[in-house]
Amino acid sequence: MITIRGLAKSFGKLEVLKDITLDVRAGEVVAILGPSGSGKSTLLRCINGLEELTKGSIEVNGILVSDSQSKKERIKHVREIRKNTGMVFQQFNLYPHKTALENVIEALLTVKKMEKSEAIKIGEELLKRVGLFDKRDVYPSRLSGGQQQRVAISRALAMDPAVMLFDEPTSSLDPELVDEVLNVIQELAKEGMTMVIVTHEMQFARDVAGRIIFMADGVVVEEGEPKDFFSAPKTERARKFLKMETKNERNEEKP
Amino acid sequence: MELVMQNFPFLLEGAYYTLVITLVSMFFGSLIGVIVAIARLKGNKVIQAIARFYVSIIRGTPTLVQIIIIYYGLVDFGISLDPLPAAFIALSINNGAYLSESMRGALQSIPKGQTEAAYATGMTPWQAMRRIVLPQAIRRAIPPVGNTFIGMLKETSLVSVISVTELLRSAQLLIAQYYVYLPFYLGIALIYWVLSTLFAYLLNKLELRLSIYE
Repeated sequence: MITIRGLAKSFGKLEVLKDITLDVRAGEVVAILGPSGSGKSTLLRCINGLEELTKGSIEVNGILVSDSQSKKERIKHVREIRKNTGMVFQQFNLYPHKTALENVIEALLTVKKMEKSEAIKIGEELLKRVGLFDKRDVYPSRLSGGQQQRVAISRALAMDPAVMLFDEPTSSLDPELVDEVLNVIQELAKEGMTMVIVTHEMQFARDVAGRIIFMADGVVVEEGEPKDFFSAPKTERARKFLKMETKNERNEEKP
Repeated sequence: MELVMQNFPFLLEGAYYTLVITLVSMFFGSLIGVIVAIARLKGNKVIQAIARFYVSIIRGTPTLVQIIIIYYGLVDFGISLDPLPAAFIALSINNGAYLSESMRGALQSIPKGQTEAAYATGMTPWQAMRRIVLPQAIRRAIPPVGNTFIGMLKETSLVSVISVTELLRSAQLLIAQYYVYLPFYLGIALIYWVLSTLFAYLLNKLELRLSIYE
């Protein structure tokens, strides 16, 4: 479903991603873990072209973007990839001037040029799925963080994506609102949605992911099944990271 | 005062022109303002430079001079405009430069995440601008734009120099006829004030209506 070969990304002189090679199969749920600054969010943003790749190639659902393509070609393919992927952001990024339902159906109207009545039907169905049908006419400012993120997930699902990308979906939520969002993601995993999740929720990664990718300093340091990764990490880097994370969870510190 | 009341219909006609000039130059100025603001933020280097130059010229020269150049100066190039169209053009161009600055600030104040969210669903840059960023920016631009509009209402008095019979010139014509100054000037001052207050009120209403989502 996703094939990444030799991906590198630099911001000016700063090399954020170095020679990443990665495959995600259809129906797989992959969690990307790593300390902040490890490049995990950048990797996610490269997949749907929010960051332009510097080197290498990315193929999503059969659509290829690579460094050998012309700029024009790349822009075209990136847009195709975006139509095939849904993204959920740390800060939700709901459109504040649109109601929950309008947020969900916006791309159906502008990108898919769907009839409004048809789009509304799909939008209402999606809001039901995340348990927010009764909030359909409410503006985001009147929703809690957890509700906003659930609307954002509906919005991403509206385009019927082949892959869902989650960029720290619970990191800016109050602790008591985290579960309602994680439950929705877990539900999607059960339905067989292909997902790549950047997260700091270790327990959640362990429960929902079929595979863990551990990144540090712009490279994939380690990957493996969750039970192996969490109980017996192979690298010193991962051991250190897990120790820090469990310590943080125990102290329930919020950055 | 009696003279003012007697000639009130004539003054009202002047007020009508003042209003028309304000509304027309507001409308076209807003269009220019949005386009120039987007050009400055999203255009290539050449387009950005042109847009910057335009704003710099307009803000760096007196409105009065701009009006005179459009009306008298263009005659040398074989373009001879009637006073009213000349007033529309001069003030629209003038207004556009100021409004583009307000719009630019408002556009920049919309978080990048909004554009990214729109892109992530497959929108083109133009769709993201039109559907997501611009509506939010316009709402945020209302307070500074409102100030420009009210300023414009008063600046229309400048076009009296190219013999557009707006409010100021209608008073001047009456003064030339009756040789009485103060009552007429006080009369139009009052009319300007009423119009400004009305505008401020309407803009306030508009702002409230557009901020239902906050």
